[in-house]
Amino acid sequence: MAVEKRHFVCVVCPVGCEIDVIHDGSKILSMAGNKCEKSEEFVRQELIEPMRILTTTVRIQGSRWPVIPVRTDKAVPKRLFPRMMRQLRHVQLQAPVNMLDVVVRDVLRTGANLIATRTMPRE
Amino acid sequence: MMEVDVAVIGSGPAGLTAAIHAHNGGAREVMLLEREEELGGILKQCIHNGFGLEQFKQDYTGPEYAERLIKELEQTGVQCFLNTLVTGLSSDRVITALSPEHGALEITAKSIVLAMGCRERTRPSIGIPGTRPAGIFTAGVAQRFVNIDGYLPGKKIVILGSGDIGLIMARRLTLEGASVIGVYEIMDYPGGLKRNIVQCLNDFDIPLHLSHTVTEIKGRERVEGVVISKVNGNLRPVPGSEQSIECDTLLLSVGLIPENELSKKAGVELSPATKGPVTSETMETSVPGIFTCGNVSTVFDLVDYVAQTGAAAGAFAALFALGQVSGSKQSVDVVAGESVRVLFPQRYSFQDDLVLFIRAAEPVEKPVTIEVTPPGSRINRLYARPNEMLRVKVPKEKLAEVKQPIMVRIREK
Repeated sequence: MAVEKRHFVCVVCPVGCEIDVIHDGSKILSMAGNKCEKSEEFVRQELIEPMRILTTTVRIQGSRWPVIPVRTDKAVPKRLFPRMMRQLRHVQLQAPVNMLDVVVRDVLRTGANLIATRTMPRE
Repeated sequence: MMEVDVAVIGSGPAGLTAAIHAHNGGAREVMLLEREEELGGILKQCIHNGFGLEQFKQDYTGPEYAERLIKELEQTGVQCFLNTLVTGLSSDRVITALSPEHGALEITAKSIVLAMGCRERTRPSIGIPGTRPAGIFTAGVAQRFVNIDGYLPGKKIVILGSGDIGLIMARRLTLEGASVIGVYEIMDYPGGLKRNIVQCLNDFDIPLHLSHTVTEIKGRERVEGVVISKVNGNLRPVPGSEQSIECDTLLLSVGLIPENELSKKAGVELSPATKGPVTSETMETSVPGIFTCGNVSTVFDLVDYVAQTGAAAGAFAALFALGQVSGSKQSVDVVAGESVRVLFPQRYSFQDDLVLFIRAAEPVEKPVTIEVTPPGSRINRLYARPNEMLRVKVPKEKLAEVKQPIMVRIREK
């Protein structure tokens, strides 16, 4: 791959360093603008595959509210978000649900579980 | 008539933390009053992560953060009154409240903690011309519809204002299948945290247009479109820059105002800069025995800061209720000097370290020094941005001899 220049804003901490990176597809050739070394890992991962935690809601029956908040229990590839959202449209839980209960195991084979982020009693 | 040591009004992050700390501080009868049917306040609808990074070293979502505090509260024996709307508050600390379960309540408290939070600015607060169709929501109301009630407020959405809730909702609505056309911000810098610009807008290719605002709303029954204009240096629309955008929904993320209707009834002095009570480092207001914390005091960026003020308010409210407030009642003003737009607290009463929360007047993207004089403390930071509150601590020992007002300034290094 040809040498490429990219710009990132690091989101590891609130400082939000603006980082200019030159890379050749396999390694970082130069990096400027970061105020600490934590950004290096962030940029390396961003170049390979941007990873984020997905937070959303799924349907639930038998509770006060019709939806319950959920999240992945670790970061998953950002590009899978649209596919995950399509899959989660079909999920329907039954109350009661406890916080941290697994809602979907190994979602889209990412190794991450989708977990409930609140307790929802039966009403 | 009921009598308690400490009554806390509101059960968001500030109120929950205050109630826990009032109990831990030795108050025997602590009462928590909440107008909704569940504890947790606005955290219940903030389903995104990023809460409690500092306080718990955990990356919680809002509901997880709330549930952690609620579980902690359940260990204390604090009495919670849900569905209870406080309607009155007097300077001698008598609360009147209404609840379907208990009817009309009158509660006398030895000390009171105000933790009512804030509310969103609306269309009338910014005066957008045009028709009055359905489809105009504040960002927080849209957040409640999507995350709690399970409704999508629209399909083609324009967001005015780049406050954090607007940015969070841009991402949330995109995930739920709506098309977010863009975020328009009247200032020439964003209102929300930089990481939210990256994670909520850039990640989803949603454009942010600085120095732009909505100058007209179109549509009879439902929003059919908006007119966007560029603004000049005085924030006035530039004639000829108008651009029509078709949409069915307009979200407003144009600022938050501390909710102080009750504080006013009790005669609490309010600060024109923060729109919250004038407060000392112990979180006491101008009315003895009435304390304040969280977003009713001044609008904070992070829940960790809210909880920090809640902890102080609860602890000092307990001391007051037990008659253990030490020292004389002398205090000095804490004054905002150059480049400081918002400063909290505004009084220092020599009882604790002075933890200052500061909002810069203008963005400074280079190292700055925060000067606190007296005692002449100088604290360095890498930048000062109006959208990211600065927090600095001056230890109590350094302030013991202070006699005149304490001035806080931000200077470029």
